[in-house]
Amino acid sequence: MSGPEGMRDAAAAGRFALQRCTACGRAQYPPREVCAACLSDRLAWQVAEALPGVLLARTVLHHSHEERFRPRLPLGIGLVRLAAGPVVLCFAPVPRTIGDAVQVRAALDETGTPVLTAR
Amino acid sequence: MRNRRDIVAAVPVTVPYARRSGHGAAWFLARALALLLEGSGLDKRAIDGLCAASFTLAPDTAVAFTQHVGLSPRLLEWLPVGGACGVVALRRAARAVAAGEAEVVACLAGDTANATSFRDLIAQFSRFSREAVHPYGAGGPNASFALITAAYMHATGATREDFGRLCVAQRANARANPLALLRDELTLDAYLAARPIAEPLHLYDCVMPCAGADGFLVMSRARAARLGLSGVRLLGAIERYNAFPDDPVPLTGGWAIDQAALWRQAGLGPEAIDVLQTYDDYPVMSLIQLEDLGICGKGEGPAFIRRHDLTLAGDRPHNTGGGQLSAGQAGAAGGFLGLVEAMRQLLGTAGARQVATARHALVSGFGMINYDRGLCSAACVLAAP
Repeated sequence: MSGPEGMRDAAAAGRFALQRCTACGRAQYPPREVCAACLSDRLAWQVAEALPGVLLARTVLHHSHEERFRPRLPLGIGLVRLAAGPVVLCFAPVPRTIGDAVQVRAALDETGTPVLTAR
Repeated sequence: MRNRRDIVAAVPVTVPYARRSGHGAAWFLARALALLLEGSGLDKRAIDGLCAASFTLAPDTAVAFTQHVGLSPRLLEWLPVGGACGVVALRRAARAVAAGEAEVVACLAGDTANATSFRDLIAQFSRFSREAVHPYGAGGPNASFALITAAYMHATGATREDFGRLCVAQRANARANPLALLRDELTLDAYLAARPIAEPLHLYDCVMPCAGADGFLVMSRARAARLGLSGVRLLGAIERYNAFPDDPVPLTGGWAIDQAALWRQAGLGPEAIDVLQTYDDYPVMSLIQLEDLGICGKGEGPAFIRRHDLTLAGDRPHNTGGGQLSAGQAGAAGGFLGLVEAMRQLLGTAGARQVATARHALVSGFGMINYDRGLCSAACVLAAP
């Protein structure tokens, strides 16, 4: 599994599945068909309760093009660099300063899509 | 093989922008093509090259467009590079003419806009955005550029006032541009008091999506002379994709890799540029382009904005037609806007907004937020006839 479906099973159990190349060891996000570094297609899921990272930037959305998000505005969104390497876009409900350490967890949203949240 | 310096871009045209349109993208592109024929006196059969860009032409591409308008070109470039499409169209058209692969290339970009076109576009923009951006309610460019802007402010000390100065200067320029959709005066106070969209971005940091098209012709200088046309000369051009993929936040674009090559091709330096046209989908990107193209040092964008007057009467005229922030963003035509404006300035046809000293122009483009960053960057240096 190389798409978001790989993340879905883990997220259903409240766990974060990060894609990692078994050939060169590099982690990547969003999930891809091949490793962006060495082009191997031998990709595996590294599953964790939560992954540590550092907040790179945060925004508060006051507008969304998608109707289902409008009742949830204003909505905190963050960019987090995982200690494992990749940068993830995620919900960031708690106001934080750039450079703060955070933990990123995964869950399924109401549509069954895996989503990440940093706290 | 002709020297690329003997290639010119001529006949900048604009199909007037509109907030909404009942026409399809093909209508806008076809109107731009008709304006190119009117402006040059050429017959449609003389167009043997086509470079085109559009989002809302989907599911069609430039291939289908040839049948839609009855063109039979021997050179065809479809440019899904977003805001880099103007410079890329010019670069590839010039290369084709220099190589003898085409005589006259029509470069076109345009899109329509209606109640659902923008939402439909961002819903299917890319695989990564569908999987890793949309589920957060952050589809579309606002959230991505809010994060880049926040990181840039943190890294450089830029303030909202700095971005505001750029937006206010562009609005002042737009007031002399009858083609700009937003011409009401914008003060710094009004900029600062605007409603938040995606903090730190507020209303006047965001372009207004609209319908419209722009175009120009590329041919040899000799061919243009026979047609009685004056064209601007292409002194140098660069393009780059997915630059600096390992930077956690994209505060440096592909221009930084290629700017030395650009100035070397052009045979002049940043100090020789009279008119600057950057891709202003958000003001932070204009600052990053000014830095990465050597107009100012890296991280010195905010100081540059404070030190210089970017209006038509100023010492550093920038986005002289108002940019996308004031003219509107007509989809892919946003990637042509700075180029056709630079051409008008260099040809002396910019009317009330003519910069008297305009001899050399720098035009940069930027496009396609795939996940967390724009993947396409391009720039060119143009000279007056």
